[in-house]
Amino acid sequence: MNTEILSLKHVAAGYGSREVLTDVTLSVREGEFAGLIGSNGAGKSTLIKCVFGLIPLRRGALSICGRENAALKSRERARLAAVVPQSYHVEYDFTVEDIVMMGRNPYLSLRRRESPEDYEIVENAMKLTNTEQFRDRFYNELSGGERQRVILARAIAQKPRLLLLDEPTSSLDVHHQIEVMELITRLNQEEHIAVLAVLHDINMASRFCQRMIMLQEGRVFADGTPSEVINRQNMESLYQMKLMIHKNPLFHKPEIVPIRVMEEEKASLRQHIHVICGANGAGKLLEELDARGYQVTAGVVNQESGDWDICQELGIPCVAIAPFTPVTESDQTLNLKMMETADIILVADMPFGESNLNNLSGLEDMPGRIYFHKNALSNDHTHGALVKRLQELGARKKITYIGDHDAFLDLLKKEEA
Amino acid sequence: MKKKNRTWSVPLSVLICIAIMYICTLTGVASISFPDANRILLHEFLRLDIDMTGISEGSIAIIRNVRLPRVVLGFLSGASLAVCGAGFQGIFKNPMADPFVLGVSSGAALGAAIGIILHYDRGVWMLNGTTLLAFAGAFLTIGLVYNISRVGRRVPVSTLLLSGIAVSQTLAAAMSVLMILNKQSMDQIMFWTMGSLNGKGWSQILMVLPYVVLGIALLFSCSRELDIILTGEDTAVQLGVNVEFLKKKVLFASTIVSASVISVTGIIGFVGLVVPHVVRLVAGPKHRTLMPLSLVFGGAFLIICDTAARSIASFEIPVGIITSLCGGPFFVYLLRKMKRGGYFS
Repeated sequence: MNTEILSLKHVAAGYGSREVLTDVTLSVREGEFAGLIGSNGAGKSTLIKCVFGLIPLRRGALSICGRENAALKSRERARLAAVVPQSYHVEYDFTVEDIVMMGRNPYLSLRRRESPEDYEIVENAMKLTNTEQFRDRFYNELSGGERQRVILARAIAQKPRLLLLDEPTSSLDVHHQIEVMELITRLNQEEHIAVLAVLHDINMASRFCQRMIMLQEGRVFADGTPSEVINRQNMESLYQMKLMIHKNPLFHKPEIVPIRVMEEEKASLRQHIHVICGANGAGKLLEELDARGYQVTAGVVNQESGDWDICQELGIPCVAIAPFTPVTESDQTLNLKMMETADIILVADMPFGESNLNNLSGLEDMPGRIYFHKNALSNDHTHGALVKRLQELGARKKITYIGDHDAFLDLLKKEEA
Repeated sequence: MKKKNRTWSVPLSVLICIAIMYICTLTGVASISFPDANRILLHEFLRLDIDMTGISEGSIAIIRNVRLPRVVLGFLSGASLAVCGAGFQGIFKNPMADPFVLGVSSGAALGAAIGIILHYDRGVWMLNGTTLLAFAGAFLTIGLVYNISRVGRRVPVSTLLLSGIAVSQTLAAAMSVLMILNKQSMDQIMFWTMGSLNGKGWSQILMVLPYVVLGIALLFSCSRELDIILTGEDTAVQLGVNVEFLKKKVLFASTIVSASVISVTGIIGFVGLVVPHVVRLVAGPKHRTLMPLSLVFGGAFLIICDTAARSIASFEIPVGIITSLCGGPFFVYLLRKMKRGGYFS
C-alpha cells in the first residue's frame, strides 16, 4: 500500500525564460487519490507535462514507480501512467473502439499485434466506463461527457498504475462532472490505480480526493487531507477573495463558498448595527453589512446555526449559546450590553418561540432605533406572546417594520444620501 | 462485427486493380487484336505453350517491352506516391500535405534540369545521369529542409512544412533561372516537370523496385502509430509513441520512395494528394486499411491516367497533366458529395 508511484524531488521546469515550477517536492503513493489544486498559472498542467517528458526538467528528479523518468522509453512510461486531458478533440472518423484500442499501443509492436487478450482488455475498459454501447460510433460525434468516458476507457486499457487527470471535468455539466469523478473513484478503489488529478473545483476535490496538494508560485504550498488544506489562510491566498469555509453536511468534507471579489461600496456613516438573529435567516444580511463597513454585532445566536457560522467566518462579535438551549436572562444581559452602543437594532427574519423571546426583553432601554422584520411574525410559535411583547415595546419606543432585508439595506443607503 | 466487413475490401480492390492492369495492357495506339494480345500475355508471362503463329515479333515486343513495363511502372509510381501521401498527411496532420510538400519535387527537378542542360547522359547502372541527378537533388533537398527545421533532437511539424515551402520555392526559382539561361533545353525541362512514363522500360523498374518495396514496407509498419499521431502529438507521446522517431521514419521512407520514383518519371502531381483523401473518405482514417487501399488505388489511378495519356491524342500527353485534370474535379465532386468525414467535417 505504501509504494511510491510518483515522486518529484525539487523539480524545476518552465517555458523559455519563465520558470513555472521552481521547487516541487511531492509523492503519490499506491492507491492514493490526490487532487492537485492551485490558481491559474501555478504550474498544475506543467507538472503533468513534466511527468510525460513533454517538458524537460531544469533541476531535480522525477521518478515513476521507482524508475528515473528521463531513462524511461515512452512505451515503458505509457504502461505505468496514463493521462486524461481536459477535453480532447479528434478530427478524424475513428470509432470509439479504435480510440480505446489505442490505449493498448504501449504493449503492441510489429511482432506483437492485437491479440484476443487485448480485445478483452478493451472490452472490459469499455464496460467499466459504460461506453460499450457506442463502440462503433465515431468518437467525434459523441457529447463531451461521453468523450471523457471514452478517454478514461483508453486510459484503463493502458493498464497503468498511475492515472493523471488534467482538469477532466472542466468542460462538462454537473451531471457529467459527477459521473466522471465517480468513475475515477471507482477505478481508484477497484483497480487500485493511483490518481493525481488537477482540479479547478475545490469542492469537487474536497469531496473526492483523500489528499490534496496545493501548488502556489511553483512550489507545494500545502499538502494533506482536505480538512488540513482547505482553511481560510490557504484558500484566501489561492483565490485572493472573500470566501467562507464550512463543512458540507452530506459528505462531511470542507467546502468553500466564494463570497465576493470586488469590494462593496463602503457606507459613509460608520454606524454600529446590532442584529438580533440566531437561526439561519440573517447570513446574507450580516455579510453585506460587514462588507459595507458597518460595525456589526449579533446576538443571541445558537452555536452551529447558519448565522453563527457566518459570524465566526466573518469575525462578527456575537453573544452565543449552546444549540437548543433557551435564551436566559443572563444571556440577554450580555446581548443588551453589546447593543448599548448600537445606532440601530435590527430584529432579523427569525422564528420566535418561548425559549428565545427573551431576545426582545429590555430593548426599550436601548438608545438605538429599532427595526423589525415583518416576516418574523409569520414564524411566531409563542402563542401570542411575541405580539404582546411587541405591543409593550411599541408603546414605549418606535419600531420600524420592514418587509425584507434588502428594503432595510435600501433604507440605510437612503439615510446616508 | 465491422472488422469482418472490411476484410474483403483489400482483396476486392486488388482484383479490380489487376483487371485494370490487364485492360490497360491491351489498349494502345498500335493495333494488336484482343485475342492476339491475350495469347502474347499468356505465352510470355505464364510461359504457356501456346501457338504463336500469325503474331509478329513487333507485336510481341510492343507488349513485352513497351506496354507491360509501362503499366507496371505506372502502378509502382502511383502506388508509391499515394502511400507516401498518406504517410505525410499522417505525420503532418495537414490535409494539404502530399509527397512533395517538403521540396522533393523541386530538388529532383533542379537535379534533372542540370542533367538535361549538361547533356549528362552517360549511363551508370543502366540509368542515365539525369535520373541520378534528380535522385540526388531530391535527397539533398530533404536533408537540407530537415536540418533547417531541427531544434535539438526534435523536428516541429510546422517548421518542417514552412522550411519545406521556403526551400522548394528557392529551388524552383533556381530552376527557372537555369531554364532562362538555357532556352534550348527549356522544352525538355518543362516536359520532365510534367511527368511521363514514356520510354521507360524494365531497367528503370528494376532500379526503383528495391527502394519502393523497402520504403513502402517501412511506411506500412508505421500504420498503428500513424493512427495515434492523428489524434495529437502530445497524446501520441502519452500513449507510448516515440513521435520524433516516427517522424524520421516516415520522412526517410517517403523520401526514398518518392525520390526514386520521380527521378525516373518526372513530377506526377496530385496522385499523392488526392488518392489518400478519397480512400479516407470511403474507408475511414485507419492506416491499416488506408495504406494498402491507397497503394492499390494510387496504382490503378495512374495506370488509367497513363493509358489515357498515350491513347487519347495522336501524340503523347504528359501524364502529370492527366492526373491533375481528372483528379481535381473528381476530388471536388467527392468533397461536395460527402461534406463530412476526414478533414472536412
